[in-house]
Amino acid sequence: MNRPHKHMPLFARVSCIALAALLIGGCADNRSPVLGRGNISYGDPKAVELVTNEFGSTDLQMIAESMTRSLAQSGVLKGRPVVQVYDVMNKTSEYIDTREITTSIKTQLMRTGTARFASDNTNMQSQVDHLKLQNQSGLYKKSTVAKTGNMIAARYRLEGSISSIIKRSNDYKDVFYKFSLQLVDVESGLAEWMDEKEIRKTTER
Amino acid sequence: MGLKCFAVVALALLAGCATSPPPPEPGSAASKVMATGPIENVAIGPMRMARENGFLTVNTQLSNTDTDNRTLYYRYLWMGPEGFPVADADTWKSLTLYAGQTSFLPAIAPVPQAVDFRLEINTP
Repeated sequence: MNRPHKHMPLFARVSCIALAALLIGGCADNRSPVLGRGNISYGDPKAVELVTNEFGSTDLQMIAESMTRSLAQSGVLKGRPVVQVYDVMNKTSEYIDTREITTSIKTQLMRTGTARFASDNTNMQSQVDHLKLQNQSGLYKKSTVAKTGNMIAARYRLEGSISSIIKRSNDYKDVFYKFSLQLVDVESGLAEWMDEKEIRKTTER
Repeated sequence: MGLKCFAVVALALLAGCATSPPPPEPGSAASKVMATGPIENVAIGPMRMARENGFLTVNTQLSNTDTDNRTLYYRYLWMGPEGFPVADADTWKSLTLYAGQTSFLPAIAPVPQAVDFRLEINTP
């Protein structure tokens, strides 16, 4: 049966679709590349962080920045020597991921182009395992296998510590951090470079 | 006549209001400072720039001209020969200047490629 009253004319149908598209487009905020409307925002990772007076991102960044630049500019690292980085001893009462401090120092020193880094104690096992895998498994083409006995020994080792003094009164909490770093010549045992960074943070209650 | 005089004075005043301070001379200390707002009660003194062991080193003198202690935030930006940054901007740092105190902001460039710098200052 032919029921023309149930079919909209073509013009009306196109108009309806266009209107719907306009309405949907109008409702959606397509001026900003943001998804979601939460109480969330991205911040400046280099901002001074004063949320609490525990060890924070600004302390980590200031320590890494200060130590790296002092060492790179000292002139001790001539000819891009090989350095082995040891973990920083945490002598504070707080949990501090000191490996992140050494990783930042390594990364920033690498960017200066003044030093090369030997596998440190955390990477050494992976390095040895991979050398063994290449040499002992028989899986690899012989001409491409890394030979054993060619690893470069470090000329210097970089080691440090972080300690803190905390004082509390009814009105104040004062935290004093001291970060020390030294570069030691492995052969002679002499400390060739040393520096420290002091940070004071006070909270008034 | 009176109306003419008034018009001339009004024009002169308007022109005076519209005149902005001249831009700092290239290479001057003022041209190195980028304030993120008005710098209040802090005077920026001489700046020293040198190259030591291949790295650019900078020192800037700051004075607190107020009779109260002041905290300010600052960081250096490091520029290459083309006038663009050659490394990430430094971390913002906090500095307390006691009343009437003069202090220095020393810094070392993060990479040997840096040949110039900018000092960004924020006085809350």
